[in-house]
Amino acid sequence: MNGRERLLAFLTGDSVDSLPLMPITMMYAADFAGVKYGQYVTDFRALVESQIAIADAFDFDFVSCISDPAREAADCGARVAMFEDQPPAIVETDALLASKSTLSTLTIPDPRTATRMGDRVRAAALFRERVGDRKLIEGWIEGPCAEAADLRGINTLMMDFFDDPAFVRELFEFTLELGVQFARAQVEAGADLIGVGDAAASLVGPEIYREFVWPHEKRLVDELHAMGTRVRLHICGNTTSILEPMGQLGCDIVDLDFMVPMDKARAAMGPDQILLGNIDPVRILRGAAPETVRAAIAQCHQQTRPRYIVGAGCEVPRATPEANLRVLTDYARSTMP
Amino acid sequence: MPDLQELGEAIKRGDRDQSAMLTNAAIAAKVPAQEILDVMVAAMDVVGQRFQKNEIFVPEMLIAARAMKESLALLEPLLVDAGITPIAKAVIGTVEGDLHDIGKNLVAMMWKGANFDVIDLGTNVSPQKFVDAVRDNNAQLVGLSALLTTTMPAIKATVAALKAAGLDTAKVVIGGAPVTQEYADEVGADGYAPDAASAVNVARALL
Ligand code: B1M
Repeated sequence: MNGRERLLAFLTGDSVDSLPLMPITMMYAADFAGVKYGQYVTDFRALVESQIAIADAFDFDFVSCISDPAREAADCGARVAMFEDQPPAIVETDALLASKSTLSTLTIPDPRTATRMGDRVRAAALFRERVGDRKLIEGWIEGPCAEAADLRGINTLMMDFFDDPAFVRELFEFTLELGVQFARAQVEAGADLIGVGDAAASLVGPEIYREFVWPHEKRLVDELHAMGTRVRLHICGNTTSILEPMGQLGCDIVDLDFMVPMDKARAAMGPDQILLGNIDPVRILRGAAPETVRAAIAQCHQQTRPRYIVGAGCEVPRATPEANLRVLTDYARSTMP
Repeated sequence: MPDLQELGEAIKRGDRDQSAMLTNAAIAAKVPAQEILDVMVAAMDVVGQRFQKNEIFVPEMLIAARAMKESLALLEPLLVDAGITPIAKAVIGTVEGDLHDIGKNLVAMMWKGANFDVIDLGTNVSPQKFVDAVRDNNAQLVGLSALLTTTMPAIKATVAALKAAGLDTAKVVIGGAPVTQEYADEVGADGYAPDAASAVNVARALL
């Protein structure tokens, strides 16, 4: 089976020849291909070639458009600092929605023609051309809560939940629609699956998650399914207190960060939910010996099998030893779900 | 007699209007400033512990700290009149190259809540900027936060810069998700705190 066949079969519950493998690589992929990260995030060709190089070298089952959280915000007009060899950074002290009234003036950029979103849509299209049906092509969008944090400033948004719930809902309506349109453009260009990064959601507790975040994430997931694509949800950070509702979103894949005990996730989400993750990217994947990496990934697998995909808790960090990343490949390819 | 316990509860709930109202009432009733302050500090201690135990999360913590800050501002003139000064002057920031500030903000707020005079330098703060701020403000306490493995070396560089500038009497507390006690020992920081509540205890113990 090739990567795309393996993943598509696994997602629909058909039998596969080995465990699927989907670690997130961004800066690691750029370094691997000898591309500066500033170029990776602004030139879709650099991203696509780097992703193909890393996916081929480590036999990943997919390639991804993921790069940084600032694409949508930048095209909406947020101030974003760019760096030669670092990820772009939204300037939070000068947030686009520092004044709430600006929200009513915002319009959703056309994802195909806007500068940074368009670059990602072109990446999806070029992936389709370059990898064809060999590997699964993953598009990427910010989730409604993360995008709201990008536009409003994450510290401010956290207090808005209490200060002005109506504003938060209005803002989430905007970010939800922004995500849907961006996803649709990537799907039309060739993406097989959409990754949704909703990092800011790990900062709120279960009450705020259920009241504000979950309903919008749910609608997003439903809209993505309605356009015929599949969904990988990744919330960076410790989501242990919101596992149960996350499991009720209906995502094809729930990708968990390393602070979440995998056995708890399995118990909270039931036997059918596909889980992905979640070894500690820095302390284990980057910092430990290969035997430790192997033991850690085997434990994740044991605690969640059979509906499990191999990956780290988050992005594979820069300067991870190749031998350690290779452990993930070897484990996946030599093990059945 | 205004209800000081209610004031503590209002701060814990993050109810800024209620806490300001109760602070003003306590001031009007001539409750000694120290007593009002003690109630606020105790309330923030509880908030920090609840956060530590995952009973509350970032939003609840931020609004509690804001209520505390606003009440403290009302009380400040009385504290000055009564000769009650902050127990220490502290400089805090996220180290160079690092833009994560939520954890640092919580530590800064907890320190304010513990009656430290806190100067917050923000994010992406160079070693030189820390040195200048510590020197200019005669700070006794320095807080360095880093959330990225790649920016942890900037902690080391900042500690070294403070030493090189002869400012090693100021106690340095470091923290942030990837930071450990071993790392603090390695770079010669005076203290390490795993979370915002313990950052207060560590600082109190060092001063
Ligand atoms: C002075 O004494 C002290 C004492 C205690 C101290 C202290 C100081 N400072 C903190 N503490 C302690 O007390 C606090 C309260 O108890 C605690 O503070 P924390 O900050 O730990 O906890 C906060 C209360 C809540 N936690 C947080 O605020 C961090 C949450 C996560 C999701 C996170 C966020 C929100 C963000 N991020 Co970033 N981000 C992640 C985080 C994921 C995670 N796994 O946690 C992390 C930290 N990020 C990471 C990365 C890689 C990145 N991020 C980036 C950007 C961002 C955002 C801007 C989008 C946003 C930050 C917004 C902001 N204003 O802060 C990029 C870097 C930007 C930069 N140059 O800084 C980027 C490089 C991503 C990219 N490719 O673009 C990872 C770091 C990996 C590593 N160890 O190196 C990460 C762990 C995610 C992951 N799982 O990989 C304690 O650590």
